[in-house]
Amino acid sequence: MRSLRRYLVTVLIALFTLISFVAALQSYKQSVSRAEALFDQDLQVLASSLSQQYKADSAQELGLALQVWQQGKLVYRSALAPERTMSDAEGFSEHNFGGKRWRVFRQTPNDVLTVIVAQPLQQRQQLADEVITASIYPVVLSLPLQAVLIWLVVSKALSPIQRFSAQLSSKKANDLSPVELDQVPAELDQMLKTTNQLFARLGDAFEREKRFASDVAHELRTPLSVLQVNLHNASQQWQRSGISDPEGSMLALQSGVERMSALIEQIMLLNRTNPEHFQARTEQLDLAGLCRQVVADWYPQIDNKQQQIELLGLEHLSLKGDAFALRLLVSNLVGNASKYTQTGGTIQLELSATQDKAVLVVQDNGPGIAPQEYSRVFDRFYRVGGDRHQSGTTGSGLGLAIVRDIVILHQGQIRLGPSDFSSGLKVTVELPL
Amino acid sequence: MLINTVLMFLRELLPLCILLATLLVWHRVLWRQFALYFALPSLLLLSVVSLKMVWISEQLDGLGLELLYSLFYLSCFILLCVSALKAQYALWTSALAAACLFSISGSNLLLYIWLPTQTENTPADLLLGAALGVGIGASIAVLWYYLLTELKQWRSSSFALLLSLSGARQVMMASALLIQSDWLVAGPQLWQTEQWLSEQSELGFFLQALMGYEATPSLSQVLSYLLCFVVLFWCCSLMERKR
Repeated sequence: MRSLRRYLVTVLIALFTLISFVAALQSYKQSVSRAEALFDQDLQVLASSLSQQYKADSAQELGLALQVWQQGKLVYRSALAPERTMSDAEGFSEHNFGGKRWRVFRQTPNDVLTVIVAQPLQQRQQLADEVITASIYPVVLSLPLQAVLIWLVVSKALSPIQRFSAQLSSKKANDLSPVELDQVPAELDQMLKTTNQLFARLGDAFEREKRFASDVAHELRTPLSVLQVNLHNASQQWQRSGISDPEGSMLALQSGVERMSALIEQIMLLNRTNPEHFQARTEQLDLAGLCRQVVADWYPQIDNKQQQIELLGLEHLSLKGDAFALRLLVSNLVGNASKYTQTGGTIQLELSATQDKAVLVVQDNGPGIAPQEYSRVFDRFYRVGGDRHQSGTTGSGLGLAIVRDIVILHQGQIRLGPSDFSSGLKVTVELPL
Repeated sequence: MLINTVLMFLRELLPLCILLATLLVWHRVLWRQFALYFALPSLLLLSVVSLKMVWISEQLDGLGLELLYSLFYLSCFILLCVSALKAQYALWTSALAAACLFSISGSNLLLYIWLPTQTENTPADLLLGAALGVGIGASIAVLWYYLLTELKQWRSSSFALLLSLSGARQVMMASALLIQSDWLVAGPQLWQTEQWLSEQSELGFFLQALMGYEATPSLSQVLSYLLCFVVLFWCCSLMERKR
C-alpha cells in the first residue's frame, strides 16, 4: 500500500528534474557548439582581412569592416569598409554605411594610430539569435514530453480512484457487497473501508427490516386465520341460538379482522415487491392478457357492486417484466377502483403503446382524490381521509405504495390525474417495452 | 568544463542509483534497516579507500587501485548472489553489495573533486555540474524504482532479470579493469557497435550503467558476463520459487 501523495510528489519531481536537467545539458551542448562555430567564423574573418591586406584574393567576403588610420591618413581598409572614417567617436557606436547598419568600435592606442572595426548589426543579431535559439530549443521541445509524462503519471496515480468509482457506479441498487480493489493507496484505504462498512451495515439493516416485517406478518397471519374461523363459528352459533346483534358488534369485529388480514397480506406483498429486496424474474409477457386475467379475478366483486368494467385498446401488448409483480400492480389498481367507486359505477382500463413504452390507464367515475393528495397516496399506510374513508371500505393504505414500488422496479412511471369521466381518478402507468 | 563534471558524476552515480533503486524495491518494507546497513559500511569503506588511496595505488606494481576496484565489483556480484540464495542474510548482504559499489563511485568522485586539474574548473562549474549529475542520477533512480515496482507486480521474473543484468554489469566492469591490469586475457574483440550505439550517447550511458553495455567487448568479457548473468538469474529464480 502506497501513498498517492508521495507517489505523485516524488515521481513528478523526478520527472521535472530529469527532463529539465537533460534539457539544460542539451542547451549547454548546443550553445557551446554554436559558440564554437561563431569563434571559428571570427578566425575566418581575421584570415580574410589579412589576406586583403597582402592583396591576396580572399575567397570569402566576410562580415567585418576594418580601417587603419595613421596621422589622419587611411593606410588600410578592408573591402567592406568605406573610404571615409567609419566613426569619429572613441569606443562603441552605431553608424550607417554601405546600405547597412553597423556596430563600430574605434580605438586610438596613440596619437598617430587609429583602428576602427565594424560589424553589421544584422549579422551580430543573427549570431546571437543562433546561440540563444540553440539553448532554448531543448527546453521548448521538452515541454510536450513533460506534458505526456505528467498525464501518464497522474492517470496512473488516480487509477485506483477511477476503479473505485467505476465499481461503485456499476453496482446495482440491491448490490451491497463490499468493493474490492487491488493496491489501495493510503489516501483511499480509509474511504474504501468506511464505504464497505457502510454497505455491510446497510445490508444488515435491510435484512433485519425485511425479516422483521416478513416475520411479524407471517406470525400474525396464523392467529388471525384462527380468529377469523372462530368468529365465523361464533357468528353461526349466535344465529343458531337466536342471539340478536342489534349494534352489529359481530359484523364490526369480522370487518376489523378481515381488514387486518388484508393489511398483513399487503405488508407481505409490499415486502416482496420492495425494489431493494425484490429479485425480478423478467420475462416476455402479454400485458393485455394479464389485464384480462385480473378483470376476471375481480369480476365477482365488480358484479356484486353492479359496476361496469371495460378493457379498451390493444388486444396484445408484449413487454418484458415480472409477471407476478405486474399482475399485482394491475390487480391493486382495479381493486382500488372497484373499492372506491360507488355501486353501479364504471371502471375503464385502456392499453396503448408508444415507440418505447406501454401505457396502461385505469380510471373510474368514483369520488376521486383531491389533486393535493396525489403525491401522498403513494406513502405507506396513508389513506385519504384517514381510517374513516368516506367510501367506508376497508383498506391498508399500502396498495398504491406497492404499485409505485413495482413501477420503480420496472423503471417505469406512474401519474395520477382526474378521470375522463365527470368525476373519479385516472391512474396512468408507463412501462418500458 | 561543466559537461565533464556532469558526465563524471553521472558515470559514477548512475550505476549506484540504479542498483540502490533495484534493491530498495526488493527490501521495500525494511527500507530503513537497509539504509542503515548500507550507510555504515559505505562510509567506512569510502573513508579507508579515500584516505589510503595513494598507498593502495602504489601496491602490486602500481595496480593496487584497479585490482581493489575489481575486487569490489566482484564482491558486489557475489554478495548479490548470496542475498538471492540466503533469504535470512539478504538484507545486509545486498546492502553490503551496494556499499562496495558506493566506495568505488565515492572515492572516484572525491578524487575528481580534489584533483589538481580542478583548478581549471571554477567552484560554480563544479557545483552546478555536481548538482546536474546528482539530480539526473537521483531522478532516474526514483523513476526506476517506480517502474520496477510496476514491473514486479506485472511479472515477478522481470525483477530477477533486471537484478541479474545489474549484477552481471559489475562483473563486466571488473573484467575490464582486470584486462587493463593484464590480470585477465582479453581475447579477440567480438563485435563493434560504436556506430549504432555509442557508449558516450545518452542511451549508451544509461545501458552502460544498467547492464554494462560495451560497444567493443572482448571474448573474456562477454563470457564472464553471460556466465555471471545466468548464475545470478538462477539464484534469483530460486529465491522466487522459495517465496
